[in-house]
Amino acid sequence: MEKKPVIKGYIRENGSVGVRNYVALIPVDDLSNSAAIGVSKLIRGTVAIPHPYGRLQFGKDLDLLFHVLSGTGANPNVAGAIVIGIEENWANKVANKIAETGKPVEVFPIEGNGDLRVIEKASRKAKEMVQEASEKQRTEVDLSSLVISIKCGESDTTSGLASNPATGYAVDKLIDYGATVLFGETSELTGAEDIVASRIPDPALREKFMKIYKEYVDFIESQGVDLLGSQPTEGNIKGGLSTIEEKALGNIQKLGTKPITCVLDYLDLLEKSSSRLCFVNTSSAAAEAVTLFAAKGSVLHLFTTGQGNVVGHPIIPVVKISANPKTVAIMSEHIDVDVSDLLQLKVSLREAGERIFNYTIRVANGRLTSAEVLQHDEFSPIKLYISA
Amino acid sequence: MPHFLIHNKNDNVGVAITDIKAGEEVEGAYIEDMAKGPKIKAINDIPLGHKIALNNLKQGDTVIKYGRPIGSAIKEIKIGEHVHVHNIRSNRWGKWRKSQ
Repeated sequence: MEKKPVIKGYIRENGSVGVRNYVALIPVDDLSNSAAIGVSKLIRGTVAIPHPYGRLQFGKDLDLLFHVLSGTGANPNVAGAIVIGIEENWANKVANKIAETGKPVEVFPIEGNGDLRVIEKASRKAKEMVQEASEKQRTEVDLSSLVISIKCGESDTTSGLASNPATGYAVDKLIDYGATVLFGETSELTGAEDIVASRIPDPALREKFMKIYKEYVDFIESQGVDLLGSQPTEGNIKGGLSTIEEKALGNIQKLGTKPITCVLDYLDLLEKSSSRLCFVNTSSAAAEAVTLFAAKGSVLHLFTTGQGNVVGHPIIPVVKISANPKTVAIMSEHIDVDVSDLLQLKVSLREAGERIFNYTIRVANGRLTSAEVLQHDEFSPIKLYISA
Repeated sequence: MPHFLIHNKNDNVGVAITDIKAGEEVEGAYIEDMAKGPKIKAINDIPLGHKIALNNLKQGDTVIKYGRPIGSAIKEIKIGEHVHVHNIRSNRWGKWRKSQ
């Protein structure tokens, strides 16, 4: 193997490694978005993470929202977090989870204060946190400290032919160097779920995966609708994908060849660990999946696209990879890694895979992705069912 | 350069890697070893990324890509024809399966 690559990342209080250094402003509920956005406008270096949920959710759905909000604050790309909520209790729940990482966290409740008082107090605190964070230095670490996630979106047949297998090459290499790689898209494994299952050596985990998969698809089918047009999407169909099976077989090309040694349902935490390829139960919607991966601890996302999905995330860089020569030409501002020459057979799979791997290292070292520069800050918690 | 690629030797569809015009003589390649594939006359325009039939298929025949079933023909498909949602359907999801 070549000389072990190293990156420069931010080592957090609990030893986890981030590749960005944000102060996050986390609204616990939709009513707190305005105050969080207010602070972000006053204080450079902060990122507000608005979303439409957090009122009268209950049960597993509420647990999942807390999991996503606290996981986002706990993400190693975050140096410190400010949690704003209409009610203090719920805000404390999220904040206490984030505080377990050892990073600075503060709570500002809106009831009893009003937006303007919260914005003032939170801004003063955010100012301190940003100045504190600005002194954190990037430190040399090896790739085994990284958690990376992968997903495809607006896929077409070029994804299955070129950008996904090339990403699979990079995934194998990242895992060889000790990184952890998360993948999901539960419904989009339909037609290839048996292949995924066969790559899970542990029988109990394999069973857990099949149970998660089956429940997901049973729910979709229980709605009694024809999913054609939703899955594959109109964009998929325009790009030449005809059926869910075809999409799934293209999708799994990006998983590389390593065994799947970890299966996480919605609320399961990623244990700190050695290198692994890990299934995470997610929807296949781009923003929802990336949001959940980030909440599980992913610090960098590799996203392949055929027809041109533009998704980003407020705190993790999303690297766009495409092999469709038309998309690369027309939507060039969104594409970070062009592997259309692999589709045209001008380079080998290895060369295209190395290109993705090398770009991943550059982004981990601080190079901004197209989605970051274009301010694609999609944050979309998965909601499981109706609110009370 | 080939006009379309084939994932697996057992596949009965290939994928256009360039826009193909109706009537054009096109040549395929197998992606696994880059061996030359069949030469076919395209019946329809086939846009980049869309599938071309490598064999004649009868209604109900399984469509194979990646060496695996990706659906079934819902009408007769001729070699060189554009293969897409108008003439194949998922075996797993959708109204077509439910009405069977």
